[in-house]
Amino acid sequence: MAERRGGGGCCPPMDLMRSEPMQLVQLIIPAESAHLTIDYLGELGLVQFKDLNAEKSPFQRTYATQIRRCGEMARKLRFFRDQISRAGLSLPTGSVSEAVLNLDDLEIKLGELEAELVEINANSEKLQRSYNELVEYKLVLQKAGEFFQSAQRSAEAQQREYASSQSAEESLETPLLADQETVTDPSKQVKLGSISGLVPREKSMAFERIIFRATRGNVFLRQAVVEELVTDPLSGEKVEKNVFVVFFSGERAKNKILKICEAFGANRYPFNEDLSKQAQAITEVSGRLLELKTTIDAGLVHRGNLLQSIGEQFEQWNLLVRREKSIYHTLNMLSFDVTKKCLVAEGWSPIFATKQIQDALQRATYDSNSQVGAIFRVLHTREAPPTYFRTNKVTSAFQEIVDAYGVAKYQEANPGVFTIVTFPFLFAVMFGDWGHGICLLVTTLFLIIRERKYSSEKLGDIMEMTFGGRYVILLMSLFSIYTGLIYNEFFSLPFELFGRSAYACRDASCSEATTVGLIKARDTYPFGVDPAWHGTRSELPFLNSLKMKMSILIGVAQMNLGIILSFCNALFFRNSINVWCQFVPEMIFLNGLFGYLSILIIIKWWTGSQADLYHVMIYMFLGPTDDLGENQLFPGQKTTQIVLVLLALISVPWMLIPKPFLLKLEHDRHHGHSYAPLQDTEESLLVETNQDSHGHGEFEFSEIFVHQLIHTIEFVLGAVSNTASYLRLWALSLAHSELSSVFYEKVLLLAWGFNNVIILIVGIIVFIFATVGVLLVMETLSAFLHALRLHWVEFQNKFYEGDGYKFHPFSFALLNDEED
Amino acid sequence: MGFFVTTLIFVAIGVIASLCARICCNRGPSANLLHLTLIITATVCCWLMWAIVYIAQMKPLIVPILSEE
Repeated sequence: MAERRGGGGCCPPMDLMRSEPMQLVQLIIPAESAHLTIDYLGELGLVQFKDLNAEKSPFQRTYATQIRRCGEMARKLRFFRDQISRAGLSLPTGSVSEAVLNLDDLEIKLGELEAELVEINANSEKLQRSYNELVEYKLVLQKAGEFFQSAQRSAEAQQREYASSQSAEESLETPLLADQETVTDPSKQVKLGSISGLVPREKSMAFERIIFRATRGNVFLRQAVVEELVTDPLSGEKVEKNVFVVFFSGERAKNKILKICEAFGANRYPFNEDLSKQAQAITEVSGRLLELKTTIDAGLVHRGNLLQSIGEQFEQWNLLVRREKSIYHTLNMLSFDVTKKCLVAEGWSPIFATKQIQDALQRATYDSNSQVGAIFRVLHTREAPPTYFRTNKVTSAFQEIVDAYGVAKYQEANPGVFTIVTFPFLFAVMFGDWGHGICLLVTTLFLIIRERKYSSEKLGDIMEMTFGGRYVILLMSLFSIYTGLIYNEFFSLPFELFGRSAYACRDASCSEATTVGLIKARDTYPFGVDPAWHGTRSELPFLNSLKMKMSILIGVAQMNLGIILSFCNALFFRNSINVWCQFVPEMIFLNGLFGYLSILIIIKWWTGSQADLYHVMIYMFLGPTDDLGENQLFPGQKTTQIVLVLLALISVPWMLIPKPFLLKLEHDRHHGHSYAPLQDTEESLLVETNQDSHGHGEFEFSEIFVHQLIHTIEFVLGAVSNTASYLRLWALSLAHSELSSVFYEKVLLLAWGFNNVIILIVGIIVFIFATVGVLLVMETLSAFLHALRLHWVEFQNKFYEGDGYKFHPFSFALLNDEED
Repeated sequence: MGFFVTTLIFVAIGVIASLCARICCNRGPSANLLHLTLIITATVCCWLMWAIVYIAQMKPLIVPILSEE
């Protein structure tokens, strides 16, 4: 049955089955057209250049200066982007196609723009600073003016009071000293100095204390809170500040206070005690503030315009710079020939691209007015070419699943072809519920419909992964709906969609339904599991036995497919040793044991026999000649079993011994023909690349033998353990159906039973969250991982070498993904 | 509906799907072969799953026993 699946893959060419045939090409490009040639090849994106200057450091290479220039330009562009995003402008994403600049013009232009922008920034910073200073100054003038006015008022009041008290009580009791003091006052008056300014509020207490201590209290300090935030001219940050005025006497105190002001970052501003001068200062400052404001605004508008015009062309420039940089990087990989007039490039390219590459070379020669054309020639090599699959948006996600394990060897059969179907299928075997399948389908359809929008956006990590795998999830959900219909589960509920249940009561009263059970009264339920099983006591035993056997059948089918693919590989590489000493005994071993088991399972179901299959399988080895008794499933079973056991026993040494000897023989024969004429290179290229490991270098017989021994042991043990490993299909599908039925019965039905709207609503919410969180997200992940493992280990280890390397063409289309 | 009739239906669906793929997206012989392989694989997988479940229920050794409520 499943064996047919491998059918078409071997001989006629099929997309994706084999990686593209590659060739090593040599291009000899005249120096004057080299840049344009590489440009066109990058546009084409089908050549992977080899680094021919690997021994040179990046600084010694020919085009190091150009790369440095590009790096410098990239830095300028980053600076612009930074400035643009800081100015709150957004970069237009749509690419504007204007006249394409060349690199030198762009470099000059970028330099000019940067200088202009830097100057504008410096100027506006300077202006902003003086503006902030003026704002502070104005605040000082206002607040300190208030001090002086209030101080003056209180002083006048005091004076009046004093005068009145003096005039009233001019008597004997008047102290003499006081009199003297008032008299001497005007002549001896000490001139008090004052300093005013702003100090940050959190430092104001400490500031006051320190000044007080430093001057031993011979100071008078007043502070006033500024309600709004003040922009500090130095740092440009908004801080809370206090206006202060300090009065002191003497030069020493002044110096001390100045120093303290500096230490506390308090900005000082001159302040005139004269009221009229104060008013004058305020008007002057306000005028200048207004002036500065307009200047700053004009500057900002200018800067905004500049940034806007940069932003419009930013993407284009950025692309150009990145392209140029990558072109020079590639040029650095080429080597100069002896005459220094030509550049020699070597690289891999798919054979189908030969024509396109030649076209590109011709165009480049023509467009650069070069007198000599570039030379294209194919080199013959024994080196393994890179692996290149042409995928589309659907197949690329599946190919990535395979590549995550290992990149296919050159032209090896690609498991990706079958993974496209079997991966979602195995997932669905574990995730069989068509309700959940529909939920997944809706989600992924949403992603696919909005594909165009999402693919241009930057998404988060998890979203990116889900979006990348949207077609995988689409197939997974479709298969889940199918297997859900087979399992007859819709959020764990069965439906009689395909006819009536086959089971009915034994009699009219239905008295024995709970003891002996129902009886099969009609034809078998035509599609999927009979709905009558749901909720019965015998549901689990029945489903367990069914799912377990199903896992083994599916597993054996898939492993057979894997071995058949190894046969396809052997045919493709014309390796008859692998056919006869690996494929045939492997087939016999696996099918002699587990293929036979699968057939027994089917016979048992078909005939309704009560035979114990465990017993049959165990005693097939322990006592092959024993009488089978009631475990006899078909006539001649005993003989068949003896033959199968013998075949399986023979196939183990068959796998192990002949291959190393045959390889040695072949090697010796090759050696004997050292001086034979060379084979026709064209025809032998494929064969030789494949036999690289044997045909080349030292032939270590012991190494080959140990390798074959390991392979044999791995296969023989693997046949058992891999078959057992497929039982995870049973385990996970059991877990999934049990969990969903628990959520349905213990949450939804329980909440329904209370006959209370609130409890019902809570129950529904809990049910939805449990379904989405546990079943749709976690179960999807776990089923995905198990399907992944079944493909990577159980399926691919039958044939897949996965030791190739990926084709990384030099392509401008790939530049965007790489750099961000 | 018996086992073989339904199997024939699966075969028919597979054939129809391959024809549709051949007619709707004909992109050269190698791409068509890929599509054909995919459809055959999918059909075989689906049929296998159905066949297993169907055969397992043809001659049941255990029958549903209702739980007492």
